[in-house]
Amino acid sequence: MSEKAYRVLESHNFLQGVMYRYMLEGHAASEEGKLAWVTSGFPVEIPVAMDVGVSYPEQYGAIVGSEKVGPKLCGYAEELGYSQELCSYARASIGSVKYPEESPLEGLPAPQALLACNNICGTVLRWYDAISQMIGAPVFLVDTPPLEGEQLPHHIAYVRHGLDNLVSFLSEQFGTTLKEDKLREVTDLSTETIGVWTQCLEACKNKPSPLNCADRFLAMAPVVAIRGRDYTLEYYQTLLNEVKDRVANGLGAIRDEKVRLLWDNIPPWFRVFRIMGSLAKRGVVFPADTYTHAWTGSFKDEDRMDSIASMYSNVYLNKGLEAKIDKMCGLIKDYDLDGFVMFSVRSCKRYSLGQLVSKELVSERTGVPGVVIEGDMVDSRLQNDAQVETRLDALLEMLL
Amino acid sequence: MGIGLDLGSTTTKGVLVDKSGKVIAAHLIPTGAIASKAAETVLEELTKLSQLELGDVSTVSTGYGRTQVKFAHESITEITCHSVGAHNLNPGIKLLIDVGGQDSKVIRIGSNGRPTDFELNDKCSAGTGRFLEVMARVLEVSIDELGPLALKSKSPCPISSTCTVFAESEVIGRIGSGESPANIAAGVHQAMAAKISTLSRRVGIASPIGVTGGVARNPAFRNYLSAALNCDLWMPEEPQLTGALGAAILAIARASDTV
Repeated sequence: MSEKAYRVLESHNFLQGVMYRYMLEGHAASEEGKLAWVTSGFPVEIPVAMDVGVSYPEQYGAIVGSEKVGPKLCGYAEELGYSQELCSYARASIGSVKYPEESPLEGLPAPQALLACNNICGTVLRWYDAISQMIGAPVFLVDTPPLEGEQLPHHIAYVRHGLDNLVSFLSEQFGTTLKEDKLREVTDLSTETIGVWTQCLEACKNKPSPLNCADRFLAMAPVVAIRGRDYTLEYYQTLLNEVKDRVANGLGAIRDEKVRLLWDNIPPWFRVFRIMGSLAKRGVVFPADTYTHAWTGSFKDEDRMDSIASMYSNVYLNKGLEAKIDKMCGLIKDYDLDGFVMFSVRSCKRYSLGQLVSKELVSERTGVPGVVIEGDMVDSRLQNDAQVETRLDALLEMLL
Repeated sequence: MGIGLDLGSTTTKGVLVDKSGKVIAAHLIPTGAIASKAAETVLEELTKLSQLELGDVSTVSTGYGRTQVKFAHESITEITCHSVGAHNLNPGIKLLIDVGGQDSKVIRIGSNGRPTDFELNDKCSAGTGRFLEVMARVLEVSIDELGPLALKSKSPCPISSTCTVFAESEVIGRIGSGESPANIAAGVHQAMAAKISTLSRRVGIASPIGVTGGVARNPAFRNYLSAALNCDLWMPEEPQLTGALGAAILAIARASDTV
């Protein structure tokens, strides 16, 4: 009777160690003058292969959200004149640079360069410009124009040109060079890691699902932030073993799986575990979500720089609405889901734009109901729990 | 028998039905500061009105305060309860628009009386009863007088703001420029109808359409909404009690399931 609705992953301790190491390495790189901040969809294999350390402000934003200090740090950015409409990752980041002593982990280690890629949104460039103004580190943009349909050769060539410029920028900034074999080694390791991660995701097609949304939101951190490293691969192999073990023994992420749902968008970091926990008690599991499935794909054996250009142009948020709808319908079908929850994130316009239309079309094509709930990933002032609960309860009443 | 209690943001409603779903007693009071207290008061009133012992009667609570009712056997969202309540009163209704004190919702009702899709207003008070209350105060009329006042208008003046606070400033501006209260009141209703009509179109228009909730009693609102949707609207005799009625019917169903 005292058993919790939710099963905790044993590999979680390993994950904590991995994230701790990432943080220490960031500080060490910063002290050596070799740290870059990068956006979540940045072609990070290039700086990694050039021996430049990386830290992820968006991942830090998730920490700020989880620590429930979003309103405080976002408020600091607002004091500087930034609008509450601005992305809360950006506000939290600006706030933490202004007052590191007030921030979790005393802020991210100071960078010597800011590397933005606009494949996830256009805000990242202006956000890094603002940070640059505060701390003086230069900004480099990898421009990946949004894709509608197939990527044409001239599009790859354009992005590829940007990557070549990135190599020059990093060489000049950090005094390093890019070696072909090192890039191959790092991208191979990324491909292998992403492959193991993808197997963990796909294992959730099983009933009961071995992982819930919240498990994946935590487990995704290394595949986003620590690419091209052997210890990252080791972590995912451990996770995969645990997942396989659960599947073999018929153990689900939650104890009594009744309803399987899809989650769309970044989660409300300050509330996600409470929401998932209370839904788990009612037998609701999320075997798939669009967010953690965004970090999949592989580098092909062709010219590596072209392959990087192609992979990072084709990320989920850089494609049109049709591709997003197809992805959602595909996940609902492949994972045999009963419904979907679309989280409309006030901060993240790029991810949330078009959700009302998508909801209608996804329901029409798959025949399962969905609901849009509103809130934010970091700034809890933008979330109304009672409204979220009513909408989720109403969806479940339609399903249970 | 079954009891349905709908703890709305503004009003708490209670309905007692017999096993066939016929209403035996109904009562409503302002929710006030303590939702659980309002629920107890309504239950006492239902007891007095029916002169029955209601202690063991299956009870379902709904509305924003639904989890505050400790004596309820189950809490069910107002979306499902309104859908069931409206379907019970008029099984033909395909789309239900419920406009309450602090929220508005549009529900597509399936053939079994259960919701198949729904949308609620966002975190803004535009398109809710509160919007009309604020405007009535500015125009110095009671909330019950606001609708009839608007119906006197020959030429509604446009109110472009959808935010309650900004719309209030806009109305004050209109008063300052000498616009008649009737025309302003009509503009206010028109703005509100436009907002609700947009919400309805998100779910998809399917007639016949029903309107419920406290705001449904306002004739000017019904007129402008009907015009905006280009469709006649059905309203139950007691539009505010629809959710509580649905909850009471679900309470009977619940009791027969568990016996």
